[in-house]
Amino acid sequence: MSPRHHLDAATLVSHAAGALSPEMSAVVALHLAGCAECRASLARADAIGGVLVEQQHPAHAQGAQHARLRDAMLARLDEPAPQPAAPANADGDPDRLPAPLHPYFGASWRALKWRWMGPGMHYIRTLGPSGGTMLLLRIGPGRRMPVHGHQGSELTQIVRGAYDDALGHFAAGDVADLDADTEHQPVTAPGEACICVSALDAPLRFPGWFARRLQPLFGI
Amino acid sequence: MPQSAPSERPAPFEAARRMSASAATGQEARDWSDEMAAVAGRRDRDCFLRIYDHFMPRLCLYLRGVGVPEAVAEELAQESLLRLWQRASSYDPARSALATWLFRIARNLQIDRLRREAGHPQVGEQAIDAEWDADPGTTEAHADQVQLQRRIEALPPVQARLIRMSYFEAKSHQQIASELGMPLGTVKSHVRRAFLRLQGEMGGEP
Repeated sequence: MSPRHHLDAATLVSHAAGALSPEMSAVVALHLAGCAECRASLARADAIGGVLVEQQHPAHAQGAQHARLRDAMLARLDEPAPQPAAPANADGDPDRLPAPLHPYFGASWRALKWRWMGPGMHYIRTLGPSGGTMLLLRIGPGRRMPVHGHQGSELTQIVRGAYDDALGHFAAGDVADLDADTEHQPVTAPGEACICVSALDAPLRFPGWFARRLQPLFGI
Repeated sequence: MPQSAPSERPAPFEAARRMSASAATGQEARDWSDEMAAVAGRRDRDCFLRIYDHFMPRLCLYLRGVGVPEAVAEELAQESLLRLWQRASSYDPARSALATWLFRIARNLQIDRLRREAGHPQVGEQAIDAEWDADPGTTEAHADQVQLQRRIEALPPVQARLIRMSYFEAKSHQQIASELGMPLGTVKSHVRRAFLRLQGEMGGEP
């Protein structure tokens, strides 16, 4: 089934422009892999970049430096082309994490070291080198997450299961692209556990007392 | 409420103004599909050099704009054009304009360079190909590009400035917001509206 919740246009533009943090980009890549609609939007955002490159008007294109670089390029045309990397194709392997998550959580679901966060709730947190946070959450079915807001943006891709909050029903393949002013309380759907991955560019804000007790778990 | 308080650092305004001025010369994008067919089919070096002469200085300007030092910008632009030569047969003019293809290659090489320096995970060749394969393709990529160019030139000034700052300075919307003294939500909604206008989804509405 195709996703019903998509990336914000502003996020796609940032991704096309190369201005997203590596963590946000990884979640975007995860969503794009399963969403033809957002891939089409991204192609249109890339086209804006193409036009802007085209519109550059070089002042003196044909100087001595250009001739030197041109010769250097000609000399390289006979170089053997590098073989494209073999696709790491393991789609059939149910233990394999989606590729964009490998740098943060490794490649194997079984090898994940979940940490307890509350009844039926587990998490793994990785701090990216740029200070962004990647959070993998596994929330048992029918659980109520603490209400939380965001100081920065939160980009969450639902990998398995589903949850509901004031913004709607989010199922596997959907992305929740949330602004700093959004406060929400996801409730996971009955049936299977909900697994989702969030990129945060600033710590979560938990207003409630229970949530404040959780906050140290997120290392904030 | 003023939408943009005076910035302490005027550079982005300058850059945006210079770019608007140069965009206004109204030169239309060329269609490179014949040259690319010759490069892919006959390994035609003359055709490649025509592409090279056109795009090399433009890619350098783009990379300088996103903050790459001049020598590195030249190196990355060379690398981008070498990829074009080596992978010409995978270019499909129905799917995207050549400028868009080169923009992607140069942008991904630049992101990889930044991440390598910072010890981040790389985007890698595969991501470039994946995005490329995922491109839904239109039959009129060149015509689309010409139309898109006209729409960019017709954007309201604030939207035009924010789009150019996003792409040409590779700034996050948070950074743009602080530089321009604009609330983040305002920056995002301008960018959103600009994107919709550029897709022709908002008619004449500002």
